[in-house]
Formats: sequence, C-alpha cells, structure tokens
Amino acid sequence: MSIDTSTAPRPGSRPGEGAEPTPPPSARPRLAVLLGRQPLGIVFAAPYALFLAAVFAYPLGLAVWISFHDYFFAAPGATVERPFVGLDNYTAVLGDPAVRESFVNVAEFLVINVPLTVVLSLLLATALNGAVRGRALLRVAYYVPYVTASVALVAVWLFLFAQDGMVNEALGPLAPDPSWLVNSALAMPVIAVFVTWKQLGFFVLLYLAALQNVPKELYESAATDGASRFRSFWHVTVPGVRPATALVVILSTITGANLFTEPYLLTNGGGPNGASTSPVLVMYQKGIEQGSPDTAAAIGVLLVLGVLAISLVNKKLLEKD
Amino acid sequence: MRPKAVTATLTMLALGMTAACGGGSGDAAEAQGSRGPIKVWLSNNPEEISWGQAMVKAWNSEHPDEKVTAQEIPAGKTSEEVIGAAITAGNAPCLVFNTSPAAVPQFQKQGGLVALDAFDGATDYIEERSGDVAEQYQSPDGQYYQIPWKSNPVMIFYNKKLFAKAGLDPENPPLGSHEEFLETSRKLVDSGAAQAAIWPAPTSEFFQSWFDFYPLFAAETGGQQLVEDGKATFDSAEGQKVADLWSTMYSEGLSPKEAYNGDSFADQKAAMAIVGPWAISVYGESIEWGAVPVPTSAGTAPEETYTFSDAKNIGLYSACDNQKTAWDVLEFATSEEQDGKLLEATGQMPLRQDLQGTYPEYFEQNPEYETFADQAARTVEVPNVPNSIAIWQAFRDQYSSSVIFGETPVDEALTKAADEATDLAGQS
Amino acid sequence: MARSWLRYLTLFAGALFFVFPFYYMVVGSLQESPDTSLRGAVPSGGLTLDNYAAINDRVNLVQSLVNSGIFTGGVILGTIVFGVLAGYALARLHFRGRGTLFAVMLLVQIIPFQLLIIPIYVMIVRSYGLADSYLGMILPFAINSTAVFVFRQFFLQLPEELFSAARLDGAGELRVLWSVALPLVKPALLTATLLTFIGPWNEFLWPFLVTKEADMQPLAVSLANFIDNMAGRAANPYGAILAGAVVLAAPAVALFVAFQKHFTASDLGSGVKG
Repeated sequence: MSIDTSTAPRPGSRPGEGAEPTPPPSARPRLAVLLGRQPLGIVFAAPYALFLAAVFAYPLGLAVWISFHDYFFAAPGATVERPFVGLDNYTAVLGDPAVRESFVNVAEFLVINVPLTVVLSLLLATALNGAVRGRALLRVAYYVPYVTASVALVAVWLFLFAQDGMVNEALGPLAPDPSWLVNSALAMPVIAVFVTWKQLGFFVLLYLAALQNVPKELYESAATDGASRFRSFWHVTVPGVRPATALVVILSTITGANLFTEPYLLTNGGGPNGASTSPVLVMYQKGIEQGSPDTAAAIGVLLVLGVLAISLVNKKLLEKD
Repeated sequence: MRPKAVTATLTMLALGMTAACGGGSGDAAEAQGSRGPIKVWLSNNPEEISWGQAMVKAWNSEHPDEKVTAQEIPAGKTSEEVIGAAITAGNAPCLVFNTSPAAVPQFQKQGGLVALDAFDGATDYIEERSGDVAEQYQSPDGQYYQIPWKSNPVMIFYNKKLFAKAGLDPENPPLGSHEEFLETSRKLVDSGAAQAAIWPAPTSEFFQSWFDFYPLFAAETGGQQLVEDGKATFDSAEGQKVADLWSTMYSEGLSPKEAYNGDSFADQKAAMAIVGPWAISVYGESIEWGAVPVPTSAGTAPEETYTFSDAKNIGLYSACDNQKTAWDVLEFATSEEQDGKLLEATGQMPLRQDLQGTYPEYFEQNPEYETFADQAARTVEVPNVPNSIAIWQAFRDQYSSSVIFGETPVDEALTKAADEATDLAGQS
Repeated sequence: MARSWLRYLTLFAGALFFVFPFYYMVVGSLQESPDTSLRGAVPSGGLTLDNYAAINDRVNLVQSLVNSGIFTGGVILGTIVFGVLAGYALARLHFRGRGTLFAVMLLVQIIPFQLLIIPIYVMIVRSYGLADSYLGMILPFAINSTAVFVFRQFFLQLPEELFSAARLDGAGELRVLWSVALPLVKPALLTATLLTFIGPWNEFLWPFLVTKEADMQPLAVSLANFIDNMAGRAANPYGAILAGAVVLAAPAVALFVAFQKHFTASDLGSGVKG
C-alpha cells in the first residue's frame, strides 16, 4: 500500500531526546531504551504481533521452505523423506506450460481490469461527487456488488453469459460462437469485466475520499482561466488524486494476483482448456487436488515476487512528482 | 518504510524457517490388533446411504462393544480431495466406502492406507471373492491397500422417445461402430430431436476422461489400461481412432463444449449418456431408456466389448485406532449377504466372481440389470501406478485442448500426453 | 443544466447496470421454470418459493447461516478487540519495535493471503488439529490488518493534548483508550466493522478447505457445493442456484443498506488518503 507514513504526526519525542514533562525515575531511562518510552504499547500490540507471526510470518517461511524440498502431505506419524531439492520445484514450475499460461492469463486480466477500474471508478466518483440528489441511492447501487459474495454473483453471471443465456439472446446473431465462457479468447475478458464490476464500488469510495482533498481553489482558478470541464478534470482532478490512483492500481493488482473464485466457479476451474486459469487456481489444483504442495509453494513464491515487483514499480512510477 | 520493511521481512523469514522444520511422530502399530468403536464414511448418493445405514445397523446389533458410526462423505469438489485432506489432518475415518482406485497410489504414498495383507487370511479372502479381477487392484508392491468392492461398468444409455422422434429405430439403434454412432448422432441433432446427441462434461477435472475417452478406448483395445508396464498405451492407432471420434462429435456440435448445469440426460437435452447401472434407478421412472455397449471402430459384438469399470473400493485408513474391528466390518460388509443387499438397493455390481450365478433371483426379477452384469465381466480399471491422478490430469489437459476445443492437432496431443504419463508413472 | 441532466442520466444508467444482476437473481429465484430468454427478466406468472425449499432440502440453510454468522462474528470480535489495541499502540504509544510492526502491517496487505494458504492449512489442520472447527476457520482472519490500519489513522488524528491531559489526571493507558479515545472514533469502528464483515462473510477458499463436515460449512461454501454437486438433481436447477445466491447476498446487502450512511467516503477517507 502506498500509504504516506511521513505525514503521520509522531506523538511525543524520541526517548532520551529533549526534556520530558515529568522527569522519569532513575530506573526508567535504561528500560526506556530497551522497551521504548511507553512499554505498555508492547502489551497492547502483542496480540496483533503474535497473530502476524503465526498466520503470516510462519506460513511464509514454511512456504519458502516447502518450495525447496520434495514435499507432500503425509498422514501424521508416517515416516517420509522430504529431501532438499534446490531449485527443482522452480524449474519444474517454470517449465510447465500450464503454469506459464496461468501467469499469461493473469497478465491479460490485469491489462484489462486495472485500467478499466481506474478510469471507471474515477469517472463515477467525479460524477457522484457533484451529484446532489439521489446520491444515497446511487451509492448503494454501486457498492452493492462489492459487499456481495463472489459465489452469489457468479451464479447470476453464469446464467447471463451461458450459451442460451440472456446476453446471447439479446445479441441474437451477434452472439459469439463459441459462447462467452467457453470461448478461449473471451473467457478471461469476461472474468476481468466481472471483477471490475464487482470491485468498482470500493474504488469509487477511495476516489470519493481523495476528491475531498483536492483543494476547491484549484477548480475555481481553472474556471476563471476559462478551462473547459474536461480540461479541469484532466489538469486538476487527475493530478490531485494521483496518490489515490497509485493505491487503486496497487490494490487492484493485488486482487488480480489473488484471482481464484471467479475462474474456479465461472469457467469450471479455468476453462475452456486452461484459457482462464490463474496462478492461485493452479496452486490449488497442484497443491490440494494433486497433492504436490511443493510445486504449488514454488508458484506462490514466484507470484509474491511478481506482485512485490509490480507494486514497487507502480509506486515509483505513480508517486514521483 | 523501506529499510524497516526489509528487516521485517528478514526477521519473519528467519522466524518462519526455524519454525518450519517440524515433523510428525506417533505409533500406529498397536492399532492393528485393537478392537473398539470405529467411524466409516459412505458415498453421498441416497441409495448407497440407505444400504450403508442398514449394514451398520445389522453390524451394531451383533457387536455392541464395537459400534460403527456411519456418516456421509463430507462435501467437496471430489471425494478424493476430501479424503486426501483428512489423511493429512489425521482425522480420516477407519473405512471409506468410496475409495477411488485412481487415488489409492497417492493415499498410499501419503501413508494414509493400511495394507490389508497384514490381517490373517485377508489376501485369500480378497482373491477368492473377486477372482482374477482382484489383480488389477494390487499395488506395485504386491499388497492390497483397497478391497475391490463394486463396479459400475459404463454403457451407452439412450432415450427411446428422442430416438423415435429422430426417425431412428428405438429398439435396435445403429450404435455399434464409430461410423454408425456418428451417423445416429447427426440424425438426433439435425432432426431437432435433442440439443445434443450426447453431452459428456467438457470440463477439465482429471476424472472426466473416464466417461468419454476411456470406455471407448477399453473397448477399442479389447481391455487395455491407460498405462501398462510403466508405459502409456494410448498413443496408438486405437487411441487415435477414439480421439478422432470425439473430436468429430465436438467439431460438428453433436456434443456441446459448454458444461450443462444439471443433468442433460434427465432434462432430455441430450439423447444419450455414458452411465453405469446406477442410472436405471435414477432415470428408470422418468425416461424410456435402452442400453448398448460403447461403440468401437469396427463394431465389436456386445459380448466381446470391454468398458471402463468405474469401480469404487473400500480402504482402511491408518488414522484408525481399532483396525481389527475395521477389518471385521470390511469382511462383514462385503459378505455374500451384504453384497446381495447392495445389489438390491443400488443396482451396482459387487466385484465378485460369477455374479449372475450367485444372485440368480435378482437377475430374474430385474432383467434390465442383466446387460450390465454381463458387461461387468469385461471391465478395465484405472492403472494402479504412482502419480495416477497427475497422469489423468495431464491426459485430460491435452485431450481438452485437442479433442474438445480443437486448438492443437489430436495426434500431437496424444503423443505429448503419453510422454508425460510415462514420465509420471516412472517417478515414485 | 443540460450537463447535470447528462450526469444523472449516466449515473442512473450505470446504476442500472450494477443492480440488474441482483434484480435478475431475485426474479429467477422465484420462477417455476427457467426462462433464459429476455422475457425471463420480467416475472412471468408461475412465481413460487419452491426453489428455496429445494435448496433447503439439500443444504441446511439455517445451520449454514449460523456458521457464517459465527465465523464472521468471531473475526469482527477479534478485529475490534485486538485491532483497536494494536491501532492505538501504533498511533499513540512509544515502544520498541513499533516501526517494524507498522512495516509488517503494510507488507501483509501486499502479500495475497491465498499464497500462504497451503502452509496455513498444514499448520491449522495438522499442527493444531483445528479442521472442522470454528476456531480453525476464524484464526487466519482473526485480526484484519486493514482495520488495524484504519484505527491507527483515526487515533493519530486526535489531538495530543487530549491524551496528555487525561494522563496528567492519572488515568492509565487502558482507561485513556476506553473513555477518551474510543468514543471519538466511533465512526471508524463502524466503518471497520463493515469492511471486516465483507471478508469472512464472502470468503470461500479458506472455509472450503478447513471444513469438511457439511454442518460446519458457512453459507458461501455450502452454496458453492450445491452449485457444483447437487443442483443437477433439483427440479429447477437454475432457480435453486439463484435462490441460494439470494440467501447468501441478502444479509450482506441488508446490513450495508442499513448502515450505508455511516459507510461514507469521509470516514474511510482519513484512513486511506494519500
């Protein structure tokens, strides 16, 4: 997340720095150096820190460990060999056309989903920001897909986009053949549009928040300069919400990298013929269905590295002034 | 945040690494001779559940100290996945009355199954009950990790009304050879009698090939398994013929490329289906059906046609504490009496020798099952080789891209799948 | 004037596009037989509740809803209790390791949860034996990091004098948090609760893995299973599936509509402003 941490006011001053309002007892300074000025904070934060260690740090370490070993699930008590295999799992994964396809698919997904999300959510937020009447109603309409479970929405889309579904009925002779979800060229775009539609409400919310922070004077001065509406949008709004755009891009990229439920349910597990698989789906198939968590972990590590790289590049590109 | 984040990541990685190296320990040896209450899982179709519950009741009334608790197999995409996860978690039941032979090699590798040979007289019992068929279920180490239980030899089921509507002879439809099968399919679809001639699931789950390619391949080759002696067999003239037939079905739109949400045969959207004898009780009331063996290129005589067995077996899982009881229940559940009840309740064929001779009355009363019972003598099982599921998945992926979606040439896809399968079968 | 007219037209057309699938979901779930043609969009005679009954036959809807409720409730409780504590500490207290914890919190949000799922599965199910338990379901989601972040941002915005005054009065930190800080960040609590609600209520993959017993599965999982395995045998599978979708969607939508005026841009704004 591209959160600007520097603007956060640091409460108080650093330990051992300047005069304190109440001079601490003599035992305090050494303890303060060791634990900080308010060691109670450790107690407050401890549950969360433990939680992060347990469900984040440990699994991450375990995933990395598994990815370098010949690992499979075994019954408790069964004695099994899990030799270190170096980069074998990684080479196996990189050489697997199914895995490569899933990464290509997700790239295709991101190319459609991210720009669409940014453009639509900014436009809708701008329009919504100026609207006075019916605002609550409109907001509900846009957010409702976001709060609803994918599983429920997928069921509807499944019928709308089926071979004899309503979309094809409406299109008549223009309906694609093979139909949307079994057409290898269209399956991924349909999923990308679905996810855009589903997540848009949240991003509209982010942009609405960001729009409140664009100084009104900038619009006023643009108006006095005789700038058209489009120009003021382009020259005031767009740069004004740039940090939010960075956030939207990064968050939607992460959502994209996470893609699982939609291909799992909408296209019957990444069909047709693997045209809509995603890395997480392949991880699931390999790790859980086919019982090779080692290669699955390798896919996971590669994916994390990819997401981190994209996030850093985004941050660099979008946050430089 | 950057330097902090790096330290944070490194700390966490180090933390994770040290914590990651844990192993399991435990002692399962004494469980083998132990008796007491056990848990079993039943397949989740209503017919089998009612049989299973009656069987458990019969056992419990005679063995109050060794109570059996039966439960439907927990829901999941496939039973294999659920059982595999339960093995890992150490909470698998004692017996699963729905153990797929294709999954046995993996469960065995996981250390999840008990070799039945450890029990006195078990090997003899299995081989006597099932006869020569038993051999197909022996693991490469020569032991039985499953007891062959029941089969569902698949055949072509067809809808007589739809056939008549298409101007076909409903009593004697031309479905023997590949040529006839195609011709009949075209008539069904062109006449508008049905949306699809036959609608196998065009999805990519590893087991889907058991209900399109594999039965026809077994018939075409006179009983060859997908992998024999560690080598894939399907990259052959026979495999090619079967794949070509399906490829034509898909390219001409006789079989749709989109999955049907529901039962296409029951909804009369498809005029044919590849099913086992369970179908008689499911469709029997609502659809006027006929059954014929799967086609071969030359139109083999029905009494010589092989097919896929779609067997489900019983496995004894290592998480079981009272394995001696479990074995006794196994013997009880596969006794001549219980097998007869299973046949009665589900129409599925117990894997025992001379089925028609053992239960003559049943087949007299239910002549429609005779065809399937006869077919049960000529079935082919999935090969019991390492990485079985991965092999089927590799096959399905190639089949899907070439035969169903026509994106790659069929012969190339078969060669590729065969290479992969041979390679996988060779790993342990 | 014309411009604003255009704006509303676009906004409402867009809204229609967003809401239509929901409308279709409800109509389809009430229909006796599936009608996939355009006319299917208008309720055409034969309305029935049979589809809901059909689902209820195969899926224990009440039990599934209860499971979803416990799962979601547990996560919200964990997030509110421990998340507020952590957020407060991160914003207002000086202690060793604060910077590192904050950095890790940001990192958590970059790394997709699904990538950790296999190790977590091994750990929860195997090491802790928590398969088919509510605790196992809740644990990986117990404290929502985004919510912790929102809390921290809110506590940061409160003026420092408030705290020093309370502390001078001799109030302990817990007391300061409880009676000074918390009442001031009520909107944040609500926003965070709503945000946190969405995650576990809709989560599919994790509870799907961890629950194998049908009577432990939350609604999202049982409905997916129903779509996959059981709908085929229902009289009107389309209707049955859509009915399930309505049941799953309704509580989330209702909750959101009820609280939507609290779920506003300015609340979240302070949390995520660039």
